[in-house]
Amino acid sequence: MTDQLADLRKAIVEGDDTQAAKLVEAALAQGLPPLDILNQGVVAGINKAGELWAANKYFLPDMILAADAFKAAMLPLEPRIKASRSAQPTRKFVIGVVQGDMHDLGKSLVIAMLTSAGFEVIDLGIDVPKEKFVEAVKQFKPDILGLGAYMSTTMLEMKDIIAELGNQGLRKGLKVMVGGVPTSQEFADEVGADAWGKDAMLAMQKALELVGGRNG
Amino acid sequence: MANPMFQMLQGILYGKGLRIGHLSGLGRIIAAMTGDHVDVIPFGGPQIHDHAMTVAKVPARLYYWNAELLVDTQMAVDRWYGFDSDTIMADAYNFEVEAMGAKMIYSDTAMPTVDVSHPLIKEPSDLDRIGPLDPSKGRIPMGIEIGQLLLKKAPGSFSPVFFCSHWSLICQAMGYPKAVRALKRDKAFATSLFDWANDQVLFPYMRALAKAGIKNASGADAWASFPDLTPELVEEWVLPYAKRLGERCKKELKITAGAGGGAGDYCEEDPAKFDKTIMFRCLTIMAKNFPMKMMVAPSGMGRTQDWDMTWLRDYAVQQGKTGHRLPIIASLNGRFMRDSSPDQIVGKLRTWIDLLGRDGGMLVFIGNVPADTPPVNIHMAVKATRTLGKYPIAADLSSIKVEPPTYQPFDEWLKGQPEADTILKAREWKPGRTPVVA
Repeated sequence: MTDQLADLRKAIVEGDDTQAAKLVEAALAQGLPPLDILNQGVVAGINKAGELWAANKYFLPDMILAADAFKAAMLPLEPRIKASRSAQPTRKFVIGVVQGDMHDLGKSLVIAMLTSAGFEVIDLGIDVPKEKFVEAVKQFKPDILGLGAYMSTTMLEMKDIIAELGNQGLRKGLKVMVGGVPTSQEFADEVGADAWGKDAMLAMQKALELVGGRNG
Repeated sequence: MANPMFQMLQGILYGKGLRIGHLSGLGRIIAAMTGDHVDVIPFGGPQIHDHAMTVAKVPARLYYWNAELLVDTQMAVDRWYGFDSDTIMADAYNFEVEAMGAKMIYSDTAMPTVDVSHPLIKEPSDLDRIGPLDPSKGRIPMGIEIGQLLLKKAPGSFSPVFFCSHWSLICQAMGYPKAVRALKRDKAFATSLFDWANDQVLFPYMRALAKAGIKNASGADAWASFPDLTPELVEEWVLPYAKRLGERCKKELKITAGAGGGAGDYCEEDPAKFDKTIMFRCLTIMAKNFPMKMMVAPSGMGRTQDWDMTWLRDYAVQQGKTGHRLPIIASLNGRFMRDSSPDQIVGKLRTWIDLLGRDGGMLVFIGNVPADTPPVNIHMAVKATRTLGKYPIAADLSSIKVEPPTYQPFDEWLKGQPEADTILKAREWKPGRTPVVA
């Protein structure tokens, strides 16, 4: 790893969004391959932050800043990565937080991890009604639909959404993942989801498993 | 209605071994928390507002706007379950920001929620624009009325008026991620935010409560639980501002305003990450801010059912004085209560009572009760606590069978109860018939 990419990794671990964006710009200007910048700098940084989180060295405030830095780094990088992948088919992942629920932190982290894994992520946002999920599945024909909820009251929406997808014959070829603080594997099984993402890292791993362990 | 002062005194004496008559729920809690003797382990009434609404089948758009309906429904449901106390509250985290103009989402079936996609505070200059809080706006008058009704209907209960404490208020006003960014990156802005919450929002609310004759308010601060905030950040920000509000209210308004409730609650979600050192730091912070300066070992809203509860006991022993461990509040997790079978709940309580309840000083609680929790689970928990927690605790608790609870369906039980009229009338309500803003 070059010093520059090591610095980028450090900026993301430390949650320095300004520095992370500057370092990506500089690396691109010097002609470093975008995928090297992504994997050795940006993803390595967010993975390290994830390790620190798992080891109780980082807490939620630290993770928010690291995710900010990750997003700031991805801004100049993403178009270049897309351009380099344009010849390859990309797996689509539609994601949203269910109606009545305004929490988007977990979703942002999942999006960051999925993007790093090469998914094309279509973000429907928060407080998304059932009909909008169904429409998005029809419109984008994703490989995976991800449903998030933060509250025990709103998570019940997921069951209706999955049932509606079934009623409209949209489950063929579509995998559904659920996630968010009040959810569990038991809940995922109960509502008929294909996978449960316990946290952002595991959500990405499960998503890759659902599409056969590879992407793009 | 029994005199609460008498009940408390009876509880203190009972705890010291002087048994005068049968203990009331309040007396039982006092005995368990202050002494060595009690008849049976008490079961504290949990935060239950949206579950009570579901059980009583009253419409959300009326329930969250009508103080009498809200209080009566929770009192009735608490009594149906047989709790020893009440925690009567509305969606207390929303009242202040709603009154100050935050965009809200209202629902027919769920509590109001703040639309964090349209935050009240987007940048520092917004602080000059919004405030001070006008206590005649939004549902603040309802908050005040809840306090007045509690004084009348549940004097001496542990239920004060709940308000949204500083850090949670800031999160409600601007969204948690932005609030965290301010805290970690811009201390001057963070200081302005806490000053705004304290001086422009909470103190005017407390002044209105005091004017209405309410003497006791409690600030909930769930966003200051772990890992949303670290113990260090709680000590740096939450506790000093809680102290500041409390002291000002005491001096200028002569009321008790206990802010920062729940700050430091160890809410680690991942059992693989449970950490005894962090948990002890969290417990110490939580205990520092516990209502009425009680020294207890509290478990709160987190997935306590997955903790090694010997840790909680270790903490209570470590912090105890003169050979006595601290009393323990053992909270069943809300999701555990919702998702478990009655047998699993009995099994959990059997283990906990065996471990924590043998020498007294134990109170069973539920962190909060999700709206869709099966009522049989709550009845089962209360019955198991009454059966297994009877003193002296049986040497072999595994030999004690806990029969399934027998109870009337809520609607049958409600007939003839003092709250029946209020609840039944509310069921007839249709949108548009009363001036509800939602």
